[in-house]
Amino acid sequence: MKALRLSLLIIAAIAIGIIYLAWGKPSGLILTQVRIPRLLLTLLTGMVLGGVGSVYQLMLSNPLAEPYILGISSGSAFGSILMGVLGLSLLMPIGGFAGAMVTMFLVWGLAGRGGGFDRSRLLIGGVITGMFFAAGISLLMYLFLKDTVVILGTLMGNLGRIFTIGEYRVFLGLAALSLALLFWLYSQSSTLDIMSGSDLYAGSVGIKVSSLRKRVFVLSSILIGITVAYAGIIGFVGLIVPHVARFYVGPSQKKVYPLSLFIGAFFLLLCDFIAQNITVLELPVGVITSAIGCPFFMWLMLKKS
Amino acid sequence: MTTNKFACRLSSGLKILLILLSIAMLLLISSCKPKETPKEERYVVLSPEVAEIMAALDLTDKIVGLTAECTYPSEFASIPKVGKFGTIRKEAMLKLEPTVVFAAGLEQEAIAEELQKLNIKVVSVYPQSLEEMYAAITNIGAITGTEQRAKALNEELKASIAAIQKKAAKLAKPKVYLEIYRNPLMSVSDDSFVGTILETAGGDNIFPTLEREYARVKPEDVINAAPDIIICYSRDSIKNIVSRKGWQDIPAIKNGYIYTHKEINPDLILRAGPRITLGLNRLYDLYAAWEKDQRP
Repeated sequence: MKALRLSLLIIAAIAIGIIYLAWGKPSGLILTQVRIPRLLLTLLTGMVLGGVGSVYQLMLSNPLAEPYILGISSGSAFGSILMGVLGLSLLMPIGGFAGAMVTMFLVWGLAGRGGGFDRSRLLIGGVITGMFFAAGISLLMYLFLKDTVVILGTLMGNLGRIFTIGEYRVFLGLAALSLALLFWLYSQSSTLDIMSGSDLYAGSVGIKVSSLRKRVFVLSSILIGITVAYAGIIGFVGLIVPHVARFYVGPSQKKVYPLSLFIGAFFLLLCDFIAQNITVLELPVGVITSAIGCPFFMWLMLKKS
Repeated sequence: MTTNKFACRLSSGLKILLILLSIAMLLLISSCKPKETPKEERYVVLSPEVAEIMAALDLTDKIVGLTAECTYPSEFASIPKVGKFGTIRKEAMLKLEPTVVFAAGLEQEAIAEELQKLNIKVVSVYPQSLEEMYAAITNIGAITGTEQRAKALNEELKASIAAIQKKAAKLAKPKVYLEIYRNPLMSVSDDSFVGTILETAGGDNIFPTLEREYARVKPEDVINAAPDIIICYSRDSIKNIVSRKGWQDIPAIKNGYIYTHKEINPDLILRAGPRITLGLNRLYDLYAAWEKDQRP
């Protein structure tokens, strides 16, 4: 039964991938130069959101945690939008990444003060920093009404970025780095499982709780910074995908994490396909993720209870 | 006694009649009073294209307030600004005591509604074709009492545009792609003012129908449409456009027909104002240069 379900899932994923690439019979040039880069960006973004979401929910012991909860996304979006409205649209990923790093150090400072770095300090530090940058985004939106399109593209997710050849090389490099970081997070699964109980207990079995939490926080911030810089903020995936995974494989992070990567990637691919093709107008992908994901999750909740 | 009573009644009736008559008379007199001399007109103009039209109608000295985007003609520099196109400082504008406020469509519709609540006369002008531009000029002329000048301006514009159309009809229509945003990629349809201008000058807009006047387009659709000329207002550099993935085979890129704001001032073709003839001529020149190179 389990093997059947898994193989069905894999077949569905492959089918989505093929439809995504072949829809509308594109020419070979378009396939390799436009669709495959977009496919890679979408898969990477979905993986990061699903994976980091599951790690944060565990690390912060909070089922409502998601990749954007520690403020990194707001800081990153602020940096990205700032570049966009100043007319430097090429520098948007760099601005986004720089914004993520600035936010990270701010949250780090707030959470680490007084020998802390416990989960509530981290959470409060992240939320307050996020609110601060969200105010900055609102301000930019108000001051640069003409650039609403750029701003909304970042706030509601936009996977349709056109790469120049140079930009694409940078993106591939960052994608490789992201995969390595995702793998490192996987290797910490068991430790994170133990840490989700009390810090005291984790410490007693030899885990350096505070330093591991710092490391997870820093590396996941880099991951989130990269995805927001390229794709903007895409809601729902990071919050709900780990819960969906947990519904099927139980609470063990070793299983939840890889399944979250997988579901995140292909769910986002499906949503991006729908966003592009459901109407003549390309819809923001962030709208589709919630519009499809929420009813599905409601159904899942009803069924399981 | 009876006669006395009668006389008394008569006199009171007369009194009432007199009062009524005098009231009627007063009303008549007041209505005959010469009209108040019209207050000096004070216009606040929020839309750059309307401001250009008004300058062409010699109304610059009646404009008391503008927005930051109203930069042409240069006399506008000395007129106070009441904010930017999308963010109007209401108090600064009210202080100028405008008799009429000229607004555009888009973001300014909300402002127009608010001002109307304050009993300020607001005229919204947002022409989306040449015909609508002529109508807008006539309308502005009627509101500002410059009907004659408006008529003359329209005739002048129509004559020069007809001349351009005549030249343009002989062109081998180049396929034109106008980019207004890079991320996300956006272009214009033929329903937009600038879309009609691309066509009037003799070009063929590669996105004639989009779901909105300004809408997102897919990069693969641009590649498939194979435009001969690219006009890029998305502030991207030519170097970057040329190196976009998959764009190298687009004729405009292969043959170097990419133009930015440096080659053709966006205000000349995006604004539905009197400078549109300059914009049309400039576009025609670019198209003609392309056509000349196509000949063996």
